[in-house]
Amino acid sequence: MTEDGPIIEVRGLEARYGDVCVLSDVSFSVKRGEVFVILGASGCGKTTLLKHMTGLMLPTAGCVIHDGTDLTQLDEDGLALLQREIGIAFQSGALFNSMTVGENVAMPLREFRLVDEELIPYLVRLKLSLVGLADAEHRLPDALSGGMRKRAGLARAMAADPPVVYFDEPSAGLDPITAAGLDELILSLRHLLGITFVIVTHELDSIKRIADRALMLDRGVVTFLGTIDEAMASDNERVRQFFERRPDEYIMHRNI
Amino acid sequence: MSDKRAAAPDRLTESTGHDLLRAVKAHDLGRDDTLVLDFAGCSFMDSRGGAWVGRVAEIARSAGADVRIEGQQGQVADFLEMIGPGLTTAVTPRPKPMGLVERICDTTVQVVKEAGQIAELVFDALYWLIIAPFEGRGFRWDSFTTELYEMGVRAVRINCLMNFLLGLTIAMMSAAQLRSLGLDIYVADLVVIGFARELAVIMTGVVVAARTGAAITAELANMKVQEEIDALNGMGLNVSQYLVAPKLLSLVVAMPCLTALGMVMGVLGGAFWGTVVLDHRMEVWMDHTLAAATIDDVMQGLIKSFFFANVIVFVGCHNGLRVTGGSRGVGLMTTRAVVMDIFAMVVIDMAFAALLYYVLE
Ligand SMILES: Nc1ncnc2c1ncn2[C@@H]1O[C@H](COP(=O)(O)OP(=O)(O)OP(=O)(O)O)[C@@H](O)[C@H]1O
Ligand SMILES: [Mg+2]
Repeated sequence: MTEDGPIIEVRGLEARYGDVCVLSDVSFSVKRGEVFVILGASGCGKTTLLKHMTGLMLPTAGCVIHDGTDLTQLDEDGLALLQREIGIAFQSGALFNSMTVGENVAMPLREFRLVDEELIPYLVRLKLSLVGLADAEHRLPDALSGGMRKRAGLARAMAADPPVVYFDEPSAGLDPITAAGLDELILSLRHLLGITFVIVTHELDSIKRIADRALMLDRGVVTFLGTIDEAMASDNERVRQFFERRPDEYIMHRNI
Repeated sequence: MSDKRAAAPDRLTESTGHDLLRAVKAHDLGRDDTLVLDFAGCSFMDSRGGAWVGRVAEIARSAGADVRIEGQQGQVADFLEMIGPGLTTAVTPRPKPMGLVERICDTTVQVVKEAGQIAELVFDALYWLIIAPFEGRGFRWDSFTTELYEMGVRAVRINCLMNFLLGLTIAMMSAAQLRSLGLDIYVADLVVIGFARELAVIMTGVVVAARTGAAITAELANMKVQEEIDALNGMGLNVSQYLVAPKLLSLVVAMPCLTALGMVMGVLGGAFWGTVVLDHRMEVWMDHTLAAATIDDVMQGLIKSFFFANVIVFVGCHNGLRVTGGSRGVGLMTTRAVVMDIFAMVVIDMAFAALLYYVLE
């Protein structure tokens, strides 16, 4: 495990739902300690890509190498062990409804006995206050707003201080102030603890603020891979359209 | 009024936090003291180190002392700033459990409220079923037919099997008693009267409660959790019209049919035992059966099954619509609905028996 090699490498990934090919020949790598964003239109396969990178789905071709280990070659136990090293915040929050918010965050810590039991309440409180939810510790997920659930999901993803954190649209549905706070939090954690972030997002301002490098998907194939500055200077039509926030041609020419 | 100092270690992480804790515990903190956490010698900390700071701050606070942090620099200063609010806010206490009296009052209020809600649901559904169509507001026939198929037709097989087996069992058990008296032909009477008045109704009720009652609650509860109910209301559509009324009508139609079928199957189960094992001729057995039961017995069973159908739909819908707590809530409510169904059916059954015993005889 070389310290400066890529922490995640995806090679020739192909993903299918039944007969439908959702991703084809996707290759890229994520460097240690960077904020890597995945961009693309709705339905182009971003969530599917995250699921493959985290071992929740297995590719039909290609491989995903996490810190020198090929996820696709691991057995169930090996995969589970590796998944403890990563935090995932799902698009919809995916909190366990039967537990309070605090118990949700404590769950990965308790289950894997990662932390001294008496330290857990303080760690939970710390994580919740990072996402601005210190007051909601004893409430049930059911009694939270959508954005609050999402933030609680983020707190749970980060609970065990995993070296790699995956966020599926962390700021969708959040107000600009909270979203900006989240951006700063991501930058701080990256800077202070060297955590690697892989983030799916559509927020242009957020991308400009936090991203080091970006991958852009279009109907399951990579249309762009490079730094954010390169992306904004790119002359690829699809990339420019994204950053200039332009609708498709046929919509432009529609008479209203 | 004095400062009590504790120095943080060079790297404040999970394992080195114990040193900080020990340093703090060495002091006898009192009301007027200030605990000074000295971070001058600390060059790195992580989240678990942060949790340790929270822990020692809590110890100081519970002793009435203040906490001050000083000397931090570089990564540690930035980190402490980032987690700042997590350290200064006191732990929110868990909500306290209620006392006994409070709990009894609360339960009473809940029961009354719930009765009110069910009554409202009943009136609403009956309005949409009976009155609204005459006012030109539609009843959903398409959903009625799918429900009827789902609740009625698809329950036929299991219901027949269960009643047949019960009939067989009853015949077997009573034959053992009556045979020694040479009266085993009366097993036919016993089975038919038992099934017409009671057994088919209860057995069918249990089958339908477990199939349809549970399905209704789970479906509506899930719709509630996924905000589909809100979406319906938001489109100006009425839940009672859209969901409850079609279910009510289809079960009210299906249940007596299933029960009647159950009666026949129960009798056939008994007849199977009577002819195959007890060696009675089929005609004799059937003569006894038909002579024993009256149309009143059958009607009594069918009327009860009509009430059971209402209970199952209303209890199911009510529990589904009042779900809280996401997926776990769905499970709890489904369990509750089936238990309530069966309990209510037994109570209604008993009320009928009492009515017949005291009033009509
Ligand atoms: N379980 C599934 N079965 C079949 N097809 C699916 C399934 N899940 C997703 N898809 C399809 O795969 C494609 C990619 O889906 P995915 O969820 O990865 O999109 P996405 O990029 O995350 O979109 P969004 O930005 O809207 O979240 C879509 O076209 C979708 O229709
Ligand atoms: Mg998605």
